[in-house]
Amino acid sequence: MFFVSIFAGIFGSVVGLGGGVVVIPVLTILLGVDIHFAIGASIVAIIGTSSGAASTYVKDKVTNLRVGMFLELASASGAIIGAAVAAYTQSAALEAIFGTILLISLVPMVIKIGEDIPKSPELGGISKRLSLKGKYTETDGRVIDYNSTRPVEGLAGTLVAGVLSGLLGIGGGAFKVLSMDLAMKLPMKVSTTTSNFMIGVTAAASAGIYFARGDVDPLIAAPVALGILIGAAVGARILLRSRNTTVRKAFAAVLAIAALEMILSAAGVIP
Amino acid sequence: MNLKDPESMNVVIGKVLRYGVVLSGIIVILGTIVLVASNGTSETSGFLEYNPVAVPHDGIDVSPAGLLHGLFTFSAFSLIELGVIVLIATPVARVLISVFLFAAERDRIYVVITAVVLALLLFSIFVTPSIPGFQA
Repeated sequence: MFFVSIFAGIFGSVVGLGGGVVVIPVLTILLGVDIHFAIGASIVAIIGTSSGAASTYVKDKVTNLRVGMFLELASASGAIIGAAVAAYTQSAALEAIFGTILLISLVPMVIKIGEDIPKSPELGGISKRLSLKGKYTETDGRVIDYNSTRPVEGLAGTLVAGVLSGLLGIGGGAFKVLSMDLAMKLPMKVSTTTSNFMIGVTAAASAGIYFARGDVDPLIAAPVALGILIGAAVGARILLRSRNTTVRKAFAAVLAIAALEMILSAAGVIP
Repeated sequence: MNLKDPESMNVVIGKVLRYGVVLSGIIVILGTIVLVASNGTSETSGFLEYNPVAVPHDGIDVSPAGLLHGLFTFSAFSLIELGVIVLIATPVARVLISVFLFAAERDRIYVVITAVVLALLLFSIFVTPSIPGFQA
């Protein structure tokens, strides 16, 4: 459990998802843990990955704090909406829908697979007013100055991410990265690290419910928390040395796995 | 540290996250040591493979009073739960401190944005679990 969590932490922190994609299937399928406790552990894993890696990303200024805070408006609202409607929805149908959306969003990801830094869009409207722009230093010493665009679409995508986290306890990170990459046109590393920065807040929003229900089992939470914190620290160092194209490839791969997981779960093949 | 310098915002937020994570890790390690010390390693092999029956841990009291009682009696599970609570509190603390950091920068729009995020977050953590029908 401990070693799986280290691996999940490394992966989660590089691609901007929480590591729940790794933790949940391993716990349920390989270790026979009940799905409720697995989701409880996944919440712990997501928060651990987020805070553990973000402390490094934020210090190195790759994460865009303003974009993160702005989009958190949508993800936190979404998490509450998700929790509110969860009792009235069929999770299998939802998983099938979201799994398919993730699978479709693989197409633009793969098309852009070789893209290093996107052509920076003109800064206007809301993006300008909220200064949704930034700069960071690449591994090769280039200072990347970037702007963002289509904040409303970004907000909408992040709202979906939040609803999904509130409903299923998983899957929020993928939609956040997609929103920032495909809609807002941020550089890949900025998208994944800013997503990583935000998922902690989204997961914390859902944590109250899981915690109150006793879904956070200390016997599972302890090894997962410790493993994930070590993994996140390692992953953060890996990402800062990686190229944007490498991060994009890793994200596309995890996106495919996440989509498949959701669809298989909807079909009842895996819990 | 000059709080009006936008650069220092990254430093402060990075530190808040790091301290939260380290503190949480220390408490969880402490809880794990107590767990192993009181149950022996054979029964706590759950660390590597999950065995829910090895250590009885059903019906852990997660209410504030139950947790406090557990901490006073140095219960391993309560310690681990506390570590998890610190971990959950870390992003909340980060949002709270961001409100003040944006205020120091006199960035009104972002003071409002972060304050709203904080309100949503607190509502979600403390209020939603007690609303009937709110189930995930």
